[in-house]
Amino acid sequence: MLKKIPKWNLVLLVTLISEIVIFGLINPRFWNMNVLLNSFNDFIGIAIIAFFVTFVIITGGIDISGGSIIGLTSVVAGISSQVMGLNIWLAVVLAIVVGGLCGLLNGLFIAYAKVQAMVITLGGMLLYSGIALVLVGISGASTYEGISGFSQGFINLANGKLFGILPHSVVLFIVVFIIAYILLHRTRYGRYIYLTGINQNAAEYSGIDTRKIITSTYVLSGLSAGLAGVILTSYLGSARADFGGEYLMPILTAIVLGGTLITGGKGGVVGTALACIIVGFLKLGLQMGGVQTQYIGLAIGLLLIISVAFLGIPNFKSNVSRLLGMKKSRGGNLNA
Amino acid sequence: MRKSKLYKLLTGTILATMLLAACNSEDAGSKTDKGSGEKEASDIEVVFIPKMTGNAFFESGNNGAQAMAEKVGFKVKYDGAPEGTVANQVQIINSAVNSGADAIAISSVSFDGLNQALQKALDAGIKVVTWDSDVDPKYRSAYINQGTPEILGKMLVDMAAGQLENPDDAQQVAWFYSSPTVPDQNSWVEYAEKYIAEKYPKWELVTKQYGEGNEQVSLQVGESILDTYPDIDVIICPDSTALPAMAQAAQNKGLDKDDVIITGFASPNSMRQYIEKGTIENHGLWDVTDQGALAVYIAYHLAQGNDLKVGDSVDVPELGKVTVEPNTIQGYDYEAEDSGIIVLPERIVFTKENTSDYDF
Amino acid sequence: MSKIIGFMKHREFRTVAFLIALFLIVGLVNSDFISIGNIQNSLKNSLLYIVLAVGMSFVLLTGNIDISVGGVVGLSAAVSGMIIRDGGSIILAVIAAIAIGAFIGLINGLGVTKLKISSFIMTLGMNEIVRVIQVIYTDGQWVENLPETFKKISQLSFLGINSLAIIVIAAVIVVHLYLSNSKSGRYFAAIGDNEDGSILIGIPVNKFKVLSFVISSVCASLAGLIFASQIGFISTTAGLGIEMTVIAAAVLGGVSLSGGIGSVIGASIGAIIMTSINSALVFLKVPAFWNAAISGSLLIIIVVTDVLIARRANKKAKTERLNARISNLQEEV
Repeated sequence: MLKKIPKWNLVLLVTLISEIVIFGLINPRFWNMNVLLNSFNDFIGIAIIAFFVTFVIITGGIDISGGSIIGLTSVVAGISSQVMGLNIWLAVVLAIVVGGLCGLLNGLFIAYAKVQAMVITLGGMLLYSGIALVLVGISGASTYEGISGFSQGFINLANGKLFGILPHSVVLFIVVFIIAYILLHRTRYGRYIYLTGINQNAAEYSGIDTRKIITSTYVLSGLSAGLAGVILTSYLGSARADFGGEYLMPILTAIVLGGTLITGGKGGVVGTALACIIVGFLKLGLQMGGVQTQYIGLAIGLLLIISVAFLGIPNFKSNVSRLLGMKKSRGGNLNA
Repeated sequence: MRKSKLYKLLTGTILATMLLAACNSEDAGSKTDKGSGEKEASDIEVVFIPKMTGNAFFESGNNGAQAMAEKVGFKVKYDGAPEGTVANQVQIINSAVNSGADAIAISSVSFDGLNQALQKALDAGIKVVTWDSDVDPKYRSAYINQGTPEILGKMLVDMAAGQLENPDDAQQVAWFYSSPTVPDQNSWVEYAEKYIAEKYPKWELVTKQYGEGNEQVSLQVGESILDTYPDIDVIICPDSTALPAMAQAAQNKGLDKDDVIITGFASPNSMRQYIEKGTIENHGLWDVTDQGALAVYIAYHLAQGNDLKVGDSVDVPELGKVTVEPNTIQGYDYEAEDSGIIVLPERIVFTKENTSDYDF
Repeated sequence: MSKIIGFMKHREFRTVAFLIALFLIVGLVNSDFISIGNIQNSLKNSLLYIVLAVGMSFVLLTGNIDISVGGVVGLSAAVSGMIIRDGGSIILAVIAAIAIGAFIGLINGLGVTKLKISSFIMTLGMNEIVRVIQVIYTDGQWVENLPETFKKISQLSFLGINSLAIIVIAAVIVVHLYLSNSKSGRYFAAIGDNEDGSILIGIPVNKFKVLSFVISSVCASLAGLIFASQIGFISTTAGLGIEMTVIAAAVLGGVSLSGGIGSVIGASIGAIIMTSINSALVFLKVPAFWNAAISGSLLIIIVVTDVLIARRANKKAKTERLNARISNLQEEV
């Protein structure tokens, strides 16, 4: 059974367990199940997007616009329901569709015009958060107060608990994870994504329309950002254009820590899921241990570097000794 | 082989964690006991939350808060994220609840975005005080207010108008602050615009620009404002990054207070040089050190189990007696006995004469 | 005709064309934008980004990426700023800044080459760490009130042109010549173009990779000095997010993210475009809440147009080559 789990995921799992043990020893409140489950609320947005940006990265691309799509879709949901009076659930659908359209725009430019993904999604990042501000400006709602007054039903979307125990965010985390897992690891579509990332030309020759595959991953990533925007709006009870702006680095951190190769072709959502929880718990645990939030970047940076130094290295010890001894090593790094 | 690798990873993680925990061991004292009754001062922990870290204004507030905590003997944990966003603040409030803090003193980035999180904190028996920037009054006991939007908006305009020879004449005026989404600065500007329309109807608002709290962008936008509107008379910058950047931009162009009037809100330490050199005449702020000290003291006072009703007075060490006023002074509809506002006694206009008297 | 196409194929030329187009279009709306004064200002404001983009180009050429430059700008600005504020000499501050840059670059480079950590992750992690170190070092405080003499350095001018700009431009040209004409300079692009091939022909790949990170970090620390001198105060979040702008600038200037292709001149012009957009928005006199939307669409329009032009130029060149070959064949027959 254990053999089926890739090595890296096992390392992540052990890290997660040791985190829970250590933080519990520092502050026993950390072992409170409610505390741990509720903390999912604080990284659910990051996780949802990270699952599907994993797809994008496996194809060899990158999507840094997810965070600003959150702000846009939050505003779309807020304005259409609170200002224009649309039914809230229709507004939710509309918001997610808008997220998908943003992703489509990214994807078309990247797959068909073959522009570098980093630049297009950087432009997209500015553009979508810009549109969010413009929408708020035009709708006459105040840009700084946020749009609130959502129905309790909508607020419960993120704040409620299933059977009174399981926070909806945990349920959502699991559901989205399962969808992503099946899509990526159990379907032909998923295999095509890997093939595209390993060698786009080869994939093309074997009859895969790689441009469609690539575009679709950006659409999925946009849709997931739309969903994250809706969830965040529900969780905070307010729609604002600047939601999600700080999510860029956390999303990428979760994916690369999860073992997905930034150059594409290798990786998976299991690692991303574990990494999201690890980073989320790390933040929570350090805060509960009395560390100020502004110092937590140090721990996340160290975790990232140390853990990845283990990743994909047949023999870490020899690497360290080589580093210390500065022995000459020829040969480049193929997966840098 | 694999086992030893995992073992090493584990050790590495533990070491890193311990290192971090050790850095902050003084804060990490045990506070598991949340028993009833009057508490010892040293058992009370107040979490002092700025909008963001790394901003001179909030760091000064923290200096005041820490000094107060030391004097009285309770604990203050300063906790904020470098990016001032709603999600970050919610996360910090959640972790304050989880780790068993007794009170929160927060400068909110959003009027309504923290409601759910604050409700959870209140349910857990945590006292909530706001300072600098308020939340919905239902979700806090007291707001340590530096001045209502009316007071501050008017102050911004008056600081500029006072320097004009003929304030009633036509003047070109620009606004320059952090972003269109930040609540407090926008609310001051909104009121100030009303005030201008009434009192100085001839003033023309030529532009409103944002520096995103980023020094480089602020300096560049500042220079561009001067280039684009060469006849500009007044630039008002109610933001602690935009104001020094604007002054630096003017200095780079060799302009001084006789060429263009630049004023706004920023800490005196960041502006002293520009005042002394004559680039600007004046700028304002309130004593944020006092504000931070007052905020944590009130939070501590409430966490001790004391009630604070509208109309009550509290004796604060070194700051004297302060009175809780009703929410209506800020224009809120919500009124309750246990929810009120404490307005700082004074706001300061810094000029050449007094700037060296302050250090924050 | 073919000459023009050949010219258009030159990536730097297209970037310059975009820059000129940007100035002309904004100039149509507000003629002040194309005044000598504003062009000088735009150049002065982009110096910081030019220096960063030059350093970044080295790393990008080898097929790696450096996310940590934002953190290095902040830390070196804070450390050297504090030295100068407390009365230390400017030379000491410069040495401190360069030392910081070299040290961080060395760690990045060793992590990437020896520990085989992907450069994206190594420098992303490093960025987080360096930021926290800055907060600890400055005790969370701003570095304020830098002395006039230091701030003046960035404002000095020679023959009416900002002297710092002259130095930076000269340096960019020297670096460009080094990269394009010297043997070791070409190694950087060779590594990014074909790493295994580079190993085979005996290029010390790892050494040059480490070197590229050191150069990038030292450039970032020099940019930190420019930052401190131009702005005069340093917050603890100085340089936050600057890495994305710099990467976009380099790519805008034709540096490929997959390595091997690009020049520092292109990257520098890309940097001027990225910074000029900020000023252009003020000159356009549109309500500022449009700013992000406009700069985002501008960036997308520029890169998409560029790719389309490049493809057309390539196609034309191909047909011409083909035609030439066919006519050659016919002659032979």
